[in-house]
Amino acid sequence: MIELIDIAMQSSDVVLQEARDAAYAEELKMGMVALAVGLAAFGAGYAERGIGAAAVGAMAEDEEMFGRGLIMTVLPETLVIFAIVVIFLV
Amino acid sequence: MSTSGSSNPEYVNGRVRARRAALFDEADYRKLVRMGTGEIARYMEETEYGTEINALGARHSGVDLIEYALNENLAKHFYDILDWADGQLYTLIANYLRKFDAWNVKTAIRGIYSGASAEEIADDYIRAGEFDDELLETLAAATSVQEAVELLDGTIFETQLATAYEEYEETDLLVPLENAVDKTFYERLLGEVDTQFVDRQTPKGLYVEVLQAEIDFRNTRNALRLSRTDTDLDPAEYYIEGGKLFDPAELGRLIGNFDDLVERIRDSEYGEELEDALSELADADSLIAFEQALDAALLEYSDQLSYTYPLSICSALSYILAKEREVENVRAIARGREVGLPVEEIEQEVVVQ
Repeated sequence: MIELIDIAMQSSDVVLQEARDAAYAEELKMGMVALAVGLAAFGAGYAERGIGAAAVGAMAEDEEMFGRGLIMTVLPETLVIFAIVVIFLV
Repeated sequence: MSTSGSSNPEYVNGRVRARRAALFDEADYRKLVRMGTGEIARYMEETEYGTEINALGARHSGVDLIEYALNENLAKHFYDILDWADGQLYTLIANYLRKFDAWNVKTAIRGIYSGASAEEIADDYIRAGEFDDELLETLAAATSVQEAVELLDGTIFETQLATAYEEYEETDLLVPLENAVDKTFYERLLGEVDTQFVDRQTPKGLYVEVLQAEIDFRNTRNALRLSRTDTDLDPAEYYIEGGKLFDPAELGRLIGNFDDLVERIRDSEYGEELEDALSELADADSLIAFEQALDAALLEYSDQLSYTYPLSICSALSYILAKEREVENVRAIARGREVGLPVEEIEQEVVVQ
C-alpha cells in the first residue's frame, strides 16, 4: 500500500514538474517577446531622435514642412509595429 | 548654444539647408545685374534682407545702404547658426567665424591708417565674429595703428601682429599687418587638429577637409597672382600653413614658372574640380575668370562634401561660404552698377555655382 502511494506521489511529482517547466517556458517566451518589442521601440526612438531634430529644424525655417516632417519623423515607428507582430506570432 | 554636450548636426543641417536653398539663384542675379542701385535695394526689401533695408534705410542710401544691409544680414545669419549649434559643432563653427574678427581687425587698421572716423569704421564692421561690441568700438576709436595693435593684446592676433608691427614701422606699409592677421586666422583654424592623423570620416576630419581646400585655393590664387605679375615679392610671406597642395619650398620654385605651376595644379587632387577653370586660364589669359572659377570650385567642393556627409559640419560650412559669396556678388553688382560698368562685365564678377 505504502509502495503504491509512493509511486503515485512520484508520478504526480513528474506531472507537476512538467507543468512547471511548461509554464516556465511560456513565461520565458513572453519575456523574450517583451524584450524584442522593447528593443524595437528603443531603436525606433533613437532613429526618431535624429529625424525629429532635422524635421523641427526644417519646420522652423518653413512651416509648410510640417506635414512632410511629421511623416518622416514617425516612419521609424513601423519598427515597433513589426515588433508587435512578433507578439501574435509566438 | 554651448560648447559642452553632444553635437546636434541634424537640427543645424535641417535649418541651414533651408536657408541655403533660399539664397539668390541665377535668375535673381540675372535680374539684379540689370537694375540700378535704388532698384536693387527695393528688390532686396522684398527678400530676406527686408528687415535690414528698412532698419538702415533712414540713415543710408544707395550702395551704402545695400552694403550695410548685406553685412548686417550676414552677421545675423551666422549668429543664428551659432545659436543653434551645440557641442563640438559649436566650437568648430565659432572657430571658423573668427574670420570676421580678422576682417574687422583689418577694417579697423585700414580705417585708422587712412584717417576714417570711428563712426565710418564701425559702420564697416561685420559683427559675426567673437569680438564683442565694446572691443570693436574702442578699436574703431583708436587714434593710431600702434594703439589698435596694443588693444588686440590678449586676442589670438597678439603675437603675429606684434612682429608685423615692427615691419610696419620700418616700411609704413599695411601689407605685413594684414598678412599677419590672415595667417593667424588660417593657422589657428587647423592649429588644434592633428591634420596628419585625423580620421576623414569624423566631423573633425571633414572640417579639416574643407579648410584645407580653402587654404590650398588661397595659396593657389596667391601663387598665380605672384607668378603672373613677375614681382620679386617673397612668396613665403604670403604662404599660409596647413594646406596639403604645396609646401613653401615647392611654391617658391613654382612661382618662377607659370606653366609648371598650372601643370602642378592640374595634376593635384583638385585637378578635376578645377579642370574648367584651368583651361579657361590657358585660353583667356585672365586671372579674374580663374579666380571666380576657384571660388565656384570651392563652393562646389564644400557642397559635395555636405551632401556626402549630411550629419557633419560640412553643411554649415557650405552655407557660410555660399552666403558670403552671395553678399560679395550683390555687393559687386551694386558697386558695378553705381560706376556704370556694362552688364557683361558685372556678370563676369558674379560667381554662380
